[in-house]
Amino acid sequence: MLEMYNTETPLVMHVDLNSAFATIEQQARPMLRGRPVAVLNRRTEHTAIVTASYEAKAMGVKVGMKFKEAAYLAPGLIAIESDPAKYRFVYKKLTSILNDYSPHVVMKSIDEGVIDFHGLVNQRPMIEIGHEIKQRLKNEVGRAMRCNVGIGTNRFLAKTAAGLHKPDGLDEINHTNLRTTLASLKLTDLTGIADHNQSRLNGVGIYTPLQFLDSDQVTLQKIVFKSIVGLQWHQRLRGYEVDDRVFDMKRIGRQYVLERRDLTRIQIMQRLHHLCESVGSRLRSQNKVARGVYVYAKTAERHYWHASRLCQLPFYSDKAIYGLAEQLFWQAPSAIREIGIHCYGLSDDDEPQMSLFGDALAREHQLVDALDTINQRYGDRTLHSADTLDVSNFIRQKIPFGSTRYL
Amino acid sequence: MNDELYLNERIDVIATFGEGLNPCRPRRFRRGNGREITISEIGLRHPSVKGKRTLHIFDVTDGAADYRLEFDSERLTWHLAFEGDHYA
Repeated sequence: MLEMYNTETPLVMHVDLNSAFATIEQQARPMLRGRPVAVLNRRTEHTAIVTASYEAKAMGVKVGMKFKEAAYLAPGLIAIESDPAKYRFVYKKLTSILNDYSPHVVMKSIDEGVIDFHGLVNQRPMIEIGHEIKQRLKNEVGRAMRCNVGIGTNRFLAKTAAGLHKPDGLDEINHTNLRTTLASLKLTDLTGIADHNQSRLNGVGIYTPLQFLDSDQVTLQKIVFKSIVGLQWHQRLRGYEVDDRVFDMKRIGRQYVLERRDLTRIQIMQRLHHLCESVGSRLRSQNKVARGVYVYAKTAERHYWHASRLCQLPFYSDKAIYGLAEQLFWQAPSAIREIGIHCYGLSDDDEPQMSLFGDALAREHQLVDALDTINQRYGDRTLHSADTLDVSNFIRQKIPFGSTRYL
Repeated sequence: MNDELYLNERIDVIATFGEGLNPCRPRRFRRGNGREITISEIGLRHPSVKGKRTLHIFDVTDGAADYRLEFDSERLTWHLAFEGDHYA
């Protein structure tokens, strides 16, 4: 069976900051060290926790838990509002450190990155490099900073290795210890296996990662996943690389949980307008135009409402985005607790557009570019719609977890 | 929920400029009320960009409370932006 595993020397390293935002706060504010800390996007009791420090986690606090519930579990829990500028700085420091080791570095999110050492000559031992990265993080950011380092033959095993001994672990998974490592894990410990996939696997008698590893390709491809995903899992678990892919950006969006439940429709529309401006800014920062707008609302009764519109001509100004969103949103239900918008049908802005309205589009382009230039020079939201003047106090720029595009 | 105090207070700062990754190190500052605080540790130094203006943010402590100092590199001014000492 051994020959089925990838027996090459592990050359992929996954580096993951431990409880990143909470650790960065503890680094920045020494008085927080050793205390249970919860980072929130808004300091209210009903806000979900974005990150908890290890001290808080040891007391049972979990990410996603409402602060009020967490405070019962962890008396003395300190709530800190997230500070994107700080996290962005540490992200850039981490990126800079990782880039010193290989030209093939991919940041998977704000707190984790992958270094691929394939093709590099005169390579030092990976374990030695892992220890060095840990030390550099302490030297270049601060002594409270810790990270997990995982080494494997592919991205999946490297990430799995990084999760074995939190916090501050350094582990390698290779063909010799693959089975013993997987034997110590649950199915849901594997990245990509959550409740739904676990149920699928349970349906064919697979209850452990080892059974998953030993299952044949046909079962995974034809019965469990019913697609090429099954083949990818078969290879992934054996240490072969299937995740070295870059996905195109499909949509750009933002959402906002309303700060109060008694807002009037006009006040909600102002907040939607603010989100549209934010989405427009992100769209243009990626040099993209969109053709579709999708809006949604979640009500207090957890009802999900959505509407969308696809246009023939592409657009990219805040005015155009809000114009479409506004039309759609008037059909939204009442008692809303969360709103969101995203633009889809994205394409590159430099594609030539032939249109009867070419002059009008060119003028809009110039105007929007001029506004963006002013905002870049004097700061975000120096110029924006008067409609959103009072909204900035509520809707603040937050850190996107899954993407590093806007960092 | 713990309390934090956000401020925008002009302060006098004694800082040293040397070598290394963090060449500028604030050592001591005096608040508007005359109180002097000696910095025992710089937790994190990071830049914050406002348009084309750069503020250098220093999160520091005197061992009893955490402070945030902001150095405006264009105007060469220091402000105390935050105080957090409610962890007892």
